[in-house]
Amino acid sequence: MQNILSVLWPSFLVAGIAEGVFFTLIDPRELYLLGEPVHFSSLATYSIGFFCFWAICAASSAVTCYLLRTAKKPDDTDRGA
Amino acid sequence: MATPLAATSKPVVFVEQSLYQVHEKVYPRSVTGVYATSRWLMVWLTQVLFYGLCWLPWNGRQAVLFDLTARKFYIFGLVFWPQDVIYLAVLLIISAYSLFLFTAVGGRLWCGYACPQTVYTEIFLWIERKIEGDRAARIKLDANAISMKKLFLRASKYGAWGLLALWTGFTFVGYFTPIKALWGSVFNYSLGPWETFWIIFYGSFTYVFAGHLREQVCKYMCPYARFQGVMFDPDTLTITYDAARGEPRGPHKKGEAYKTQGKGDCVDCSICVQVCPTGIDIRKGLQYECIGCAACIDACDQVMEKMGTPKGLIRYSTEHAIAAKWGWEEIIRHVIRPRVLVYAAILWTIIAAFIWGIVTKPTLRVDVIRDRAVLAREVEGGMIENVYRLHVMNVSEAAHRYAITVSGLPEIDMVGDRIIEVPPAGDQTFTVQVRVPPESGKKGSNVIYFDVKAMADENTAVREKATFLQL
Repeated sequence: MQNILSVLWPSFLVAGIAEGVFFTLIDPRELYLLGEPVHFSSLATYSIGFFCFWAICAASSAVTCYLLRTAKKPDDTDRGA
Repeated sequence: MATPLAATSKPVVFVEQSLYQVHEKVYPRSVTGVYATSRWLMVWLTQVLFYGLCWLPWNGRQAVLFDLTARKFYIFGLVFWPQDVIYLAVLLIISAYSLFLFTAVGGRLWCGYACPQTVYTEIFLWIERKIEGDRAARIKLDANAISMKKLFLRASKYGAWGLLALWTGFTFVGYFTPIKALWGSVFNYSLGPWETFWIIFYGSFTYVFAGHLREQVCKYMCPYARFQGVMFDPDTLTITYDAARGEPRGPHKKGEAYKTQGKGDCVDCSICVQVCPTGIDIRKGLQYECIGCAACIDACDQVMEKMGTPKGLIRYSTEHAIAAKWGWEEIIRHVIRPRVLVYAAILWTIIAAFIWGIVTKPTLRVDVIRDRAVLAREVEGGMIENVYRLHVMNVSEAAHRYAITVSGLPEIDMVGDRIIEVPPAGDQTFTVQVRVPPESGKKGSNVIYFDVKAMADENTAVREKATFLQL
């Protein structure tokens, strides 16, 4: 549980910032999805955008967590002297 | 409160696998005093603002509305468009520097008094206390086996929390969608799916953070709590236990001249620990978990008063002041120091620039976009025509009629509307065809100007450059 939260929480914070910056600069009505103009309501675009950012950030945090857990430290003494 | 608990036998400790961390459950005991009152004042101030501001009307619309769909932010008389993002950026910088300044001078004032996490925890704790009783009653209730009474108390507590959380979520969404319409749609069951989702989402966050996570948010989740130490120096006010005065701690017998026996002022009643919302012992010195709420100051002052010893065994003080036994005058004199002066200078400069920016914010904006499909063409009478799209944004609170003229080439003229009307805080895009005789200007690109002038106010005018392609 603690691991899941330490992945989800920082990514939530960063996704919030990313969402703010992205949609301040870019109008959701000017976005294209698979070559078609996005036809969702603005609120839906903002919401979906936020969850996409969250998912991407969470993926990055998860990989970090995974690598930290499985990395063998260079100074490990049990490498069979 | 404030009767020191008789030396309890073994303290009951609940270790729970909570959402974020395995931790000992904290049961903050209620506290009264100067700082508790100021904390409650801040709760009222921030929450009257938060729950109330969104209902305030202004010029026939909501006074504070971050209209995401229309991409316009309304703050009383000011209307911000995406083009005004610089103001938002500057506002964020101002907030950051204020935080630095306040922290350098007064320690974690933000955490202790103004942070939503503290404020909502305070409100949720108040509900908990009203329903389940104070610290001792709550510890007992947790230890009790399940019973009808326990179920009833729990259900009422969670119910009350839930209602408040939902209302908080609703208010939050009301800052992004006009709240009166939102309130109406609650009653005729026409609340949009995303509005519903965000109300529940924000409400759940409030519920979990203020009801269950509480001090864990500050201890494990808050980035600010981790780096606030950087702003601290030995002259920063923190909540400090005066160890020189308090130690060695221990109970005093009635009428005992404890000082002659080498005892300190601390009677080891542990009330400072019981009232602490993050469950720390301030007597161990400054810890990063301390959110600076000053509950222990109020608690200790009451005990000191009962014991007939001077107040302030735990008090706002600085590292230097404790070491050198400074009084308030000396502490205040040390507020003025390079770090504080630098923070203050930067802060005031940015605030001045921000205010200047707001005051001189243009009330009219014009974008000229060349028509991408047609570069230049010959039209009737041998004239050469270029087509433009003009985007006129009225950033003021009143409707305006604007006159549009074009200049920059001999005999230049335009076809299309010369006068347009734009509603308050509205915008309009329209097409104009600009024509010149073939001999006017040079072959290739020429600079021309569009002038947009408010008809009621000569000073509201914008000149936009554009290029005209001559064949």
